[in-house]
Amino acid sequence: MRVYLIVICFVCCVFNLKAQGCSDAGVCTVNSLNSKEEDIFKNTLAYSVSYGKGEADVFYVAHFLAYTKQWNPQLSFTAKVTLSTAKGSFGTRTQFGDAFLVGNYLFKTKKKSQWGTILGLKFPFTASNLKINGYSLPLDYQSSLGTIDGFFGGNWRYKNWNVEGIVQVPFVNLNKNSYFSEYSGTTDFPSTNLFQRQPDALLKVGYRYTITPQKFSLNPSLLAVYHLGEDSYTNIFNQQVALEGSSGLTVNGVINGVYSFQKNQQIEFTLATPFAVRDVRPDGLTRSLVVALQYNYSF
Amino acid sequence: MKKHSKTIVLFLSLLLMSCQEEGVLTQRRPVGADLTPNALLRYQANFTTTDFISGAGKVAIYLDEGRYKLKLVDYTIQEGPDLKVYLSQSDVPNNFINLGNLEPSQIYLIPENVSFSTYNYVLIHCQQYNHLFAHGQLIPQP
Repeated sequence: MRVYLIVICFVCCVFNLKAQGCSDAGVCTVNSLNSKEEDIFKNTLAYSVSYGKGEADVFYVAHFLAYTKQWNPQLSFTAKVTLSTAKGSFGTRTQFGDAFLVGNYLFKTKKKSQWGTILGLKFPFTASNLKINGYSLPLDYQSSLGTIDGFFGGNWRYKNWNVEGIVQVPFVNLNKNSYFSEYSGTTDFPSTNLFQRQPDALLKVGYRYTITPQKFSLNPSLLAVYHLGEDSYTNIFNQQVALEGSSGLTVNGVINGVYSFQKNQQIEFTLATPFAVRDVRPDGLTRSLVVALQYNYSF
Repeated sequence: MKKHSKTIVLFLSLLLMSCQEEGVLTQRRPVGADLTPNALLRYQANFTTTDFISGAGKVAIYLDEGRYKLKLVDYTIQEGPDLKVYLSQSDVPNNFINLGNLEPSQIYLIPENVSFSTYNYVLIHCQQYNHLFAHGQLIPQP
């Protein structure tokens, strides 16, 4: 057990990996924690490390640590904490991102079909105003959007197909970002002073291929994220201005592989890339590529 | 098994906490402007600090090569989080122009077409916690 952890940590340190998501504000990775009715363990710990390529020359190494409590075959709760490092021409900034509290409920399987629901909250650890030497940074370098979000959705599984729909709504804006592109010396990132973010709707359709029963499966999926409105910021004249082009659709291709090397231990890998992105992406969430490795330990 | 889980949580928590880092700024700091020897002093103000804020300082506005530029002079007002320099219509931050982060050595380039009869105050304001640190009324210089 410890050997595996040490190997993972060693890999993380050597390659300085990190990541955040695939064009969403966090729910993209939450639903992967969904419990399965056949799960027999009461507790699961998950650690993930990922590498992401962002806008301009920014790249990310992101981690999360999650704990899932399976109360019964239907009901589970997950707590998750994220940490992200962004590195680019502004420098390097590492900080805790958000804490997630997520509840999942799975209804009984009927005729190979199963419904589930998800309800959760996201709390930021920062006001999205991290700086380097007093220099304001764009949202692409922030570990959190600085909003308290609620999300809710549903999940339908039929045979090997899986469809998920989730809406993520920022209902308390704590964002105090103070980045102005006009004072930064670069036009790579839009101004996001006192950024105000709009909700997202997410739809994911996937299919599970069992390569080796009980051992190895592949789950390719399409993930669509629709940003439900134009984000806005406060300009240098203290006027709130909409960021035109910031609403709209992002479509990602995701492939996820799960290898169970013991009954209670799994390794997951995920590869994701967008096929279509919004015209303007001020939130810094878009990645041209995400590669993630996750270890799950159940007990 | 429970013993194992505690060890794992402790180990991973320490790993995550040890990763917090504020690196070195590698972007060129965009200093607003320079003052040429021909710059003319047009406005000046003395800062008055608000309650519980200590220090002093002045502000000078120059007309230089057709543009107005703001410079902080003898600035010793105490530091705070997320301090900004505002050009304001009053001594409170209601209608203002945000000139950017406070950097006492920086020369701030003022946007074009700003009327100093309207924007006749300079404020030092903490944006993140919405707390005014100091204000000064601009006085035209002969």
